[in-house]
Amino acid sequence: MGARDSSTFVLISPIGKRVLLVFFAVFLVFLYLPTILLVIFSFNDSTVAAFPLDGFTLRWYELSWQTGEIRQSLSASLKVAVASAAIATLLALLGSYPLARRNVRFRPLMSALLLVPLVVPTVVVAVSLLTMFQRGAIPIGLGLPSIMIGHVIIALPFAVLILLPRIASIDRRLEEAASDLGANGLQTFRFVLLPLIFPSIISAFMIAFVFSIDEVVIASFLSSEQPTYPVYLYSGLKFPEKTQALIPVATIMILISFLLAFGAEAIRRYGERKLEGR
Amino acid sequence: MATVADKPRLPEKRSRRERRNDGGSALSTYGLLAPTLLVLAAFFLLPLYYIFLFSVALKRFSPTEALAALNGELNGFSGELWGNLVSWNVDVAVLGLDFAIPAVLIGVVLIVLLVLTVAGGRLSERHGTWIVGIAFALLLMPFLTIPAGNSLLRIMQFTSEGIQLNLFFKSVTMAMTSSVIAVIVAIPVAYFLAFCVQRSKYTWLLIVIAPFLTSYLLRVFAWKVILGDQGLINSGLMTIGIIDEPLTFLIYSQFTVMVVLTYAWVPFICLPIFLAFETIDRRLLEASMDLGATRWQAFRKITLPIAAPGVVAAFLFVFIPSIGEYVTPTLVGGVDGTMFGQNLASQFVGGSFNWQYGSAMALFLMGVVLILVFATSRFLRAGGGGL
Repeated sequence: MGARDSSTFVLISPIGKRVLLVFFAVFLVFLYLPTILLVIFSFNDSTVAAFPLDGFTLRWYELSWQTGEIRQSLSASLKVAVASAAIATLLALLGSYPLARRNVRFRPLMSALLLVPLVVPTVVVAVSLLTMFQRGAIPIGLGLPSIMIGHVIIALPFAVLILLPRIASIDRRLEEAASDLGANGLQTFRFVLLPLIFPSIISAFMIAFVFSIDEVVIASFLSSEQPTYPVYLYSGLKFPEKTQALIPVATIMILISFLLAFGAEAIRRYGERKLEGR
Repeated sequence: MATVADKPRLPEKRSRRERRNDGGSALSTYGLLAPTLLVLAAFFLLPLYYIFLFSVALKRFSPTEALAALNGELNGFSGELWGNLVSWNVDVAVLGLDFAIPAVLIGVVLIVLLVLTVAGGRLSERHGTWIVGIAFALLLMPFLTIPAGNSLLRIMQFTSEGIQLNLFFKSVTMAMTSSVIAVIVAIPVAYFLAFCVQRSKYTWLLIVIAPFLTSYLLRVFAWKVILGDQGLINSGLMTIGIIDEPLTFLIYSQFTVMVVLTYAWVPFICLPIFLAFETIDRRLLEASMDLGATRWQAFRKITLPIAAPGVVAAFLFVFIPSIGEYVTPTLVGGVDGTMFGQNLASQFVGGSFNWQYGSAMALFLMGVVLILVFATSRFLRAGGGGL
């Protein structure tokens, strides 16, 4: 890759590059316009989110702060997201470690099993869990625990896709050295592997968390009296009069997800640097 | 760098050192794997098996019964044998015991099939082809046995009802269109990031991907604000004076659903396509140009073929969630933009309330997606690793 500068020069003509730059800029506008509009409408002094704009107000923020249902659904969502992200990350770690390090029979089959939920449409996962929780062998009914289980299943492949390659990329000889120096299996894991993969564990957790806190299909099938935030939002969006109070929360949620996303990336990169600087 | 791991493994002759490097006993290996596999078996494979059971059940539950079941008032007919064995509530009395055992076998076959199809994409060329071949031979088997004929019958029942099948094809067309457009938009973006951006490439990549991580529902809603009758586009055009009446096709139509689906997934698929471009050895391109290829030829004959697996994987990443979509069409689709997923969902929680029928629909949907995954598993093997 030493000749990257020259190859970049050859690969694309100056005009082509300019065209791509314009395309990219337009694309970014297209990408961020809806989000920006939401932020604008969260301050708009009108009961419907429509043009023309009606002046600045903070009353929607006040209203959504005072709406108990919003707070309850947010706290339900937080509980579900933290629990499902923690469990999905733990299960992904337990599954990835042997697949990356040990002799596992039928390894391709095993790793395929961990990734299968990716290729099944979410609505199918949702209705199948619904039938089982209602009438199947595990009749725990509907509610937050059921939603949490559904989110674990869907988030698991993503966590595995983050953790498995990371564990596999770490030099085995580090662990060999540790065990030659007398560390047992648990100590090797705790003091050698864990610090190295910790950033990936955090980013797997964050991906699973962000996924769960925004998931609506499984949650709407499996929720009972207490909806999660996306389910509440989904029902609210169908009724225009409820919508305005939801936009400020949405704005804040969007800011938080951006912070989480960039935070996860920063942590991942810090981990990468640590690994390279070794 | 000949590490121990690189040596060919001869299980009988492994040295003590190597065994220890291997990290311990088979017991601990499978002990570590067990919880994950158990959770997947209990909460992913078993539920899928239940929709299979429901799709083959002979009796159609009346809406009252189903509602009672939903409220937990009806504990099912708990057949004696199965009831004691696994205490499930799916009605063996309804299914019939002679029927239950083949149903179990076929269910297991279906689940094995599901796993094998995905595994096929992760094996070597030779084994992968075999495994997927076997998997699809198994797929045909249930239709040859009598009880599962019911499942086939039910699937045929709903496919012969033109409305459902037409709706399905309409959904396929919509999902296909938005996936293709998403890929076409993502390719130049990924190409620009991979080949033109010199500094802090990954920060730009993250800026592209970040919107994907924000609330999906809100992004759908924001499009309502843009495309609605009083939205950005209509009010803008009316202010300028180009139109007098709002353009009605912009909202509550197939068009809206496809715009929103494309928008929602484009940031996500920029990632696999970017990685596909990024891993291309630049020297190949230089060599081709030294041999007289034009830039366009180099792109068409080298860059695109090498990046193809990533592009196909990206297409699937949009298509699979889009084909089962029901949230987006419900919010912005109106009557014109209705999709198969909405009908499927309404069999379970909406007005129609027919779990058997809905289960057959779900199996059908899953089958179509699996066939697609199979057809492209060769690409996924190469491209999926990028994610």
